[in-house]
Formats: sequence, structure tokens, C-alpha cells
Amino acid sequence: MNQSAEELNKVEKKDLFTSGHRACGGCGQALAARLVQDASGENTIACVATGCLEVFSSPYPDPSWRIPFLHSLFENASAVASGVEAAYKALKKGPVNIIAQGGDGSTADIGFQSISGMFERGHNVLYVCYDNEAYMNTGVQRSSFTPLGARTSTTPMGNKTRKKNMPLIAANHGIPYVATATVDDFRDLQRKVKTALSIEGPKYIHILAPCPLGWGHHGELTVEICRLAKDTGLFPIYEIVDGKMTNVKKIPVKVPVQEYLKLQGRFSHLFKKGGSPEIIAEIQQIANQNIERYNL
Amino acid sequence: MEKLPLGLVLDLRKVVPYKTGSWRTLMPINIAHTPPCNNACPAGNDIRGFLRVLAEKKDYEQAWHILTRTNPFPAVCGRVCPHPCEGGCNRRDFDEPLAINCSERAVGDYGLENNLQHKKLIDTRKEKVAVIGSGPAGFSCAFHLAKRGFQVKIYEANSEPGGMMRYGIPSYRQPNYILKQEIDNILRLGVELECNVKVGVNIPLDQLRNEYDAVFLGIGAQKGLSINIPGKDAENVFTGVEFLRQVNTGKWVELGNDVVVIGGGNTAMDCARVAKRLGANVSIVYRRTRMEMPAITAEIDEAMEERIMFRYHTNPVKLILDEGRVVGLLCVQMELREPDASGRARPVPISGSEAFIPAETVIMATGQAVDYDGIEIQTADKQWIYTNEYLMTNMEGVFAGGDAVVGLETVSLAIGQGMRAASAIEDYIEGNKESELSQPPVVYSRELNTYYYQPVKRYEKEARSIHMRLKGFKEVYPAFDQDDIISEADRCFSCGLCYDCGNCYMYCPDNAVQKSKTTGFYEFDYDFCKGCGLCAKECPCHYIQMTLEK
Ligand SMILES: Cc1cc2nc3c(=O)[nH]c(=O)nc-3n(C[C@H](O)[C@H](O)[C@H](O)COP(=O)(O)OP(=O)(O)OC[C@H]3O[C@@H](n4cnc5c(N)ncnc54)[C@H](O)[C@@H]3O)c2cc1C
Ligand SMILES: Cc1ncc(C[n+]2csc(CCOP(=O)(O)OP(=O)(O)O)c2C)c(N)n1
Ligand code: SF4
Ligand SMILES: [Mg+2]
Repeated sequence: MNQSAEELNKVEKKDLFTSGHRACGGCGQALAARLVQDASGENTIACVATGCLEVFSSPYPDPSWRIPFLHSLFENASAVASGVEAAYKALKKGPVNIIAQGGDGSTADIGFQSISGMFERGHNVLYVCYDNEAYMNTGVQRSSFTPLGARTSTTPMGNKTRKKNMPLIAANHGIPYVATATVDDFRDLQRKVKTALSIEGPKYIHILAPCPLGWGHHGELTVEICRLAKDTGLFPIYEIVDGKMTNVKKIPVKVPVQEYLKLQGRFSHLFKKGGSPEIIAEIQQIANQNIERYNL
Repeated sequence: MEKLPLGLVLDLRKVVPYKTGSWRTLMPINIAHTPPCNNACPAGNDIRGFLRVLAEKKDYEQAWHILTRTNPFPAVCGRVCPHPCEGGCNRRDFDEPLAINCSERAVGDYGLENNLQHKKLIDTRKEKVAVIGSGPAGFSCAFHLAKRGFQVKIYEANSEPGGMMRYGIPSYRQPNYILKQEIDNILRLGVELECNVKVGVNIPLDQLRNEYDAVFLGIGAQKGLSINIPGKDAENVFTGVEFLRQVNTGKWVELGNDVVVIGGGNTAMDCARVAKRLGANVSIVYRRTRMEMPAITAEIDEAMEERIMFRYHTNPVKLILDEGRVVGLLCVQMELREPDASGRARPVPISGSEAFIPAETVIMATGQAVDYDGIEIQTADKQWIYTNEYLMTNMEGVFAGGDAVVGLETVSLAIGQGMRAASAIEDYIEGNKESELSQPPVVYSRELNTYYYQPVKRYEKEARSIHMRLKGFKEVYPAFDQDDIISEADRCFSCGLCYDCGNCYMYCPDNAVQKSKTTGFYEFDYDFCKGCGLCAKECPCHYIQMTLEK
């Protein structure tokens, strides 16, 4: 499938992921999921791991999905997608877009081995990670994508570790396409989904998806927060095509990390009296390292 | 046995979705807010409206019709208006305000070049209104009444219509043929005009009150005021309006070499620049400094460019005469002390600083007053005509507006007053209660999401060279390029009105913003909108507002 630049840049709204789901107001994951399905189109099978997205969008009898949707377990979305792909091959059906999707918990932690296996076996599947930086569906527990300093129900004093770098881990499987995206730039996000689906083999897209409930911000700030995540350098935007990093999004005006942190309740303890300026400094250091490393 | 399908099979067509709209506490609504430019425009122009039509449709004709809904003089105002709209423009907090005044001129000129005509709203009705004075106030009132079908007749004391637009403002700023065409367009609505009739002198006001259902007084302030110093009545001493009137009627005024203009307002600048074009050396004498000058900055700058000398802190105390003609002024130097009631620094003479300034002509551009000759009417502060808030004077059925009411103001304010008076007159004749004008709230910069706008350089008009300017009375600013003005209009933020960026539609996590199949506008699906406010936050122009759930 070779698409023109014009087709790739076209914004898609097809209502394949519809109203009535139970996500919180302003949920970044609900927005991301709609953008992904609308970019992919009708000829798509979604294999979704347990997590907020699966729970809020699929209750019987009124799911939001207007495409085939499979949910099995928390840990096995990639294994299910691999099976679907193998079945299509065996039945000589297709082509069809198969998108395995899961939260950060399912991607970084419990579903990690099944993703790694899918990549290693070379299935023609796109994996989309909706990264909201904790296990939201069960009450905001820490995951290995939870950033330094963030308060979760299992890190009430703030998370002590840095975030696992999943896009680079995915890329190191030698898969042909890896990209990062955020929900504020819907054109870029949809272009990446369409680009990925035009490539044969395993693909990985990592989408930052703010969670108003877990991050402690008002739903109206979802887009603004994504923008700040990029402009601080905390969430670099790039693509890795055949092992080469390209399309690194330059930061127009660099913003100090405080601007990003202070909008979110999960970081508020850092700013309180007796807070942790050293943690803020370390977060700034992470941003600086990203800026240098990715040449943002 | 009946073969059942494996698992549960759901027919999506029968599904009734769960209405998450019931969660909402705040609801988004679309409101066409008032942009600050419109709010600041004394003529009440829909500035955003005409700029957006230029930007989105490149349609000069529709832009002209939008402007002339309120203002029948876009080509004149596009040249002479001090454009408070630009001072209000929200873009000033982002990069630079829109060049609204230039855009207005381009649209006004397009209308004239293409012979666009006003349309009547109501064909005819029997009631008659007399308008006294054919300045912008009178013409605006006549225009709006004629559009609503009234029989209107204008009485004008001068031999030509236009008021100060004709006899005050010099033609290098506002050429006569432009004014004439815009006036002709108004007359084509069926407005009658009789010149050389001074109401109160040639015809009593009461006669008009009897003959007409209502009367509008737009008589301006025709009398030039001079300062009361010895020698002021010499024959080569003029008031500013008197001098400009003579030049504007095509009379040759013998100025001699040295001309001194007294005053710091726009009339002083005009007099000085006209005298310069007639070949004199000109200086302006002003009691305070440039900071306190009431003239528009651009006018002062242009006068300076034209090498007019400015003498600040200088106050004439006496005109020196020789055989009944002025030969110079005796002036005293002033120093500025604590501000007076007007808020401007108070000038106080420095003793022993008297100096002589030679002059062959002195022009006193030091104020104007209403000419009440034969018109007995209640005044406010013994100066300007008193009106109530619906612009009716103390005389039943006699309305007034423009400079004669508000003091020395602007063409656009006179136009706005004429329009307001027209609707008050309509209400009066129809016996309606005066309609309250209400407008939606104004949008300010902080309510916009400027992330979605890019900095773009403002259009700057280009003046002719000083040399060319001083050669005669050619317009200082030649015509603008139409495409440049369209690009300029494209800078407009469209404050308070949707311009179809699609953010609300794309960002709604609940898919609760839909594009109407009939109107093409974005609509909220309140069955599913959870009221998160993301759409309102990301709406660049503050068209969406969150309100309390009803
Ligand atoms: C030199 C000069 C420069 C100016 N420059 C600018 C500028 O650049 N921009 C700007 O916005 N404004 C400018 N102004 C101000 C502007 O011209 C006035 O505010 C505006 O014209 C007022 O309009 P009006 O209709 O109230 O009165 P006018 O324009 O004064 O018109 C009044 C009319 O009524 C007629 N009239 C008076 N008495 C009678 C009577 N008894 N019977 C019949 N007719 C009568 C007069 O002859 C006149 O034609 C300038 C003014 C002057 C003097
Ligand atoms: C094997 C297993 N362990 C635990 C759970 C409980 N569980 C359901 S969703 C979830 C968290 C999901 O987190 P994440 O993948 O980040 O998705 P999110 O809800 O944050 O979108 C957990 C722990 C489960 N369903 N299965
Ligand atoms: S940006 Fe446009 S609509 Fe907004 S104030 Fe300026 S001119 Fe008016
Ligand atoms: Mg999560």
C-alpha cells in the first residue's frame, strides 16, 4: 500500500469509535483510540488488552466499536493479535489491518513478553500503546512507565525510578517501524498510524495519553499537557524507520519542566513546602538529556 | 435442533447507546462573541465580518456590503479614521494589530471602482424626515432612514455637501472625488439634497418641524475659535477652519513666506501641511510638548516628515502688526507644571522669555464652536447641543448628533451617531419604545488560545516620497494592492466567531461534536457530551464557552 503524502496527511474522522463510552471527561486514551481507529478505517480488527480502554468502551450491549473487537486478557493482546494474523494467513484471507492495543501496564509490564514474542516472530501487526503512565483502571498503581516523582496509589511519596524506554526497546527488536505521538497533534498521530499500516511486519506506536483522573488535572487540559510534555523535552516525538531515527520533532521554544509538572496533581507534592526541588531538578535533567540525545 | 451461533451475537443497529451527557455539570455552547474591534468602532462596523469575508472568500463585494450595512463612507473612513478598532484588536497582544483602516479603504475603493450600490431594506413609506447638515452625521442619518423607506431631505448651508469631510479635511488625505462618489451613492437611495439653505436663517427650524415627521440636526461646529490676544482681528490672521475652507473651495490664499500655525490638534497639522504645500515655510507653535499634543501620532509624524517646524513650550501673547497686517508674534516660553483638570501638564510662563517670531500669516487652529445662528435649542455646558440618550433634543421630534452634540470628534463617531439617531427616529415615528441595543460579551486576548496562530508581519501602507507629496495635493498614500489586503485580512484571529478550524470536532474524546449535514456548522451532541471543556479550551477564537448546566 503506497499512499501519497496528501493521503497520509489527511485528517480522518469516520466515527468508528463512537460516543457513549464510559471514559472520564477529557480522557486522553479515549481520544487517542478514536484517532487511531478512524485513521485505520473499517478494514481493521482491534485486539485490546484489559485496561481502561477495554472496560470503558466494550460493555454489553452497547460497545463503542464499529469494527471487530477482541478482548482476551490483560497480558496477551499481542498473542491474540498474532493468532488472528496467523489465522488470516492460513485461511488466505485479507489483507486486513490488525491492531493490538493496550495501556502502559499491559505494554511495559504484564504483556511485555507477548509483545516481544510477536515482534520477534515478525507478525504483520501494529501495536499501539496508550501510555497514561500508571495502571489507571484498577486505581492508579505504578507501572514501569510511571515517571520519576509521580504520585500513584502505590508510590504515595512519589515514584523513585525513571520511566522505561519502550520505543527504543521495540526498535531494538529490529522491527521496521516505531513512532511516538501525542493526542494534541492529531494530524501527526493519524499519519503515523497510516504509515505504520502501510508497512509489512510488526510495528509499534507509543502514544502519550493524559489521564485527568490519575494525573490530577482538569479534563480540559489534556491537549495542553501533551503540548507541554513535548515542549519540555520529556516526551520526544520521532519515528524509527528500519532502525533509523527520523522526523524528530524540534521543540519551537523550550519550556522548563515545572510548567508541565505544576498542572498535575500527581506532582503537586514536589512543589509543596518541604517539597522536592532535587526531584524537579532531576526531572529537568531527564528533559535535558532527551533534548541532547534526540536533538530536539 | 435449531443451530445457535457460537457465543453472543449483538445486532449493533438495535443498540441504544448509554447517554453519558447525563454526567455533565458544565455545558459547552457556541456564542458569537463581540470582537474588540467591532466594540471599539464608533461607527458600529462589523470589522471581523468584512475581514473574514476577505480572508475566506476573497470577496471584496460582500465585504463592501458588510461595511456599508453600517457605514456609507468606507472609502472616506479608510483614509481619515483614527481607527480605534486597531487599538482594540486582540492581535496587538500577539504581534501587531490588523491594518483595519487600510483594509477598509481597499474595500471602499473597490466599491467605488465597481460601482456597487446600496440596497433598500424597505421600499417606501410615507413619513418624511428633514436632515439639517450634510456632514457625516447628517448623511449617515439620511442613509439609514432612506434604506428603511423614509422620505428624507437634507438642508445644507454650504454650496456643496460633505461638511468637514468636504471643507475641513485636505485633499491630500481625502480626495474630493472619493467623497463625491460616496455621497452620490447615498443620494441614489432617493435622498433629496438642497444646498445653500441655512436653517434658522433662510428657513426657520419650526417650519421644518411642522412639515416633517421628525428633524435631525447634524450641524457640526462650523465656527473657528481664535485665542484672545491683541491683533487677532488683523486681515492676515485666520482660524484653522476658515483657512482650510478657503483652500478647499479652491480659493487662492496669499500666505507670504512665513506661516505660523497655533495649536497642537489635527486641524493645526492639516493647516500646517496645507500651507507647506502652498509653498510657505511653516512652523507650529504649541504651549506644551509633543507628548501632550491632541493630534494623532501619525499626523504629527507626517507633518514632521514634511519639514514643518515644531516650537514647543511656546505661547503667543501678542500679534505684532504693521499697517493692520501681522508681521510676527510675540511669544513667551512656558514650563510644564503639575497636570491640570484635563490631565495634561499645566504650562506656566517663564518670565523674561519673550521672543519675536516673524510671520506673514498666522493661523489659529485653536478650537471650533457650534454656529447657533437662528437656532434656539437647549445646550449642555453652553456649548454643545443637549440630547437624551436616544439623541432627542429638548424639542419634541428634533434629534441631533455628531460634533454639534459630542464636541470635536471624528467622522466615524458622527456616522455612528447618525445611525443611532435614525433608529431612534424610526422608533419615535412608529411610536415604539426605544429599542435597547444589547450585544454579546466582548472577547479579550486572554480568552483566546493563540497557540493556533502564527506571527505574521502587519501590512504597512507606503507613503509617496516627501518630494512628491509637497509638489501638490496628491494623496499621500497611493492605492493598495488588493491581494496584499487579502493576506492582511487573513491575519484576523476571528475573535469570537468560528472559522472552521475543526479543533472541537477532532478533539472531543466523546465524539460529541458533529458537523451539521444541513448547515455545515459544528454542533454539540448533548446526549453524549460530558462537559470536559476540552473543546472550549482548544477553540482558538473563544467561540465555545462553558456555561452552567441548565
Ligand atoms: C481640519 C479638520 C480635520 C479633520 N480631520 C479628521 C480626520 O482625519 N478624521 C476624522 O475622523 N475626523 C476629522 N475631523 C473631524 C470630523 O471632520 C468631524 O468630527 C465630523 O465631520 C463631524 O461631522 P458632523 O456631521 O457632526 O459635522 P460637519 O462635518 O461639521 O457637518 C455639518 C454640516 O452642517 C452644515 N450646517 C451647519 N449649520 C447649518 C444650518 N444651520 N443649516 C444647514 N446646514 C448647516 C454645515 O455646513 C456642514 O456641512 C477633522 C475636522 C477638521 C476641522
Ligand atoms: C492478570 C491480571 N492481573 C491484574 C488484572 C487487573 N487489571 C485490570 S486492568 C489493570 C491495569 C491496567 O493498566 P494499564 O495497562 O496501564 O491500562 P490503563 O487502565 O491504565 O489504561 C489491572 C491491574 C487483570 N485484569 N489481569
Ligand atoms: S483579530 Fe480580527 S476579529 Fe480580532 S480584534 Fe483583531 S481585527 Fe478584530
Ligand atoms: Mg495505564
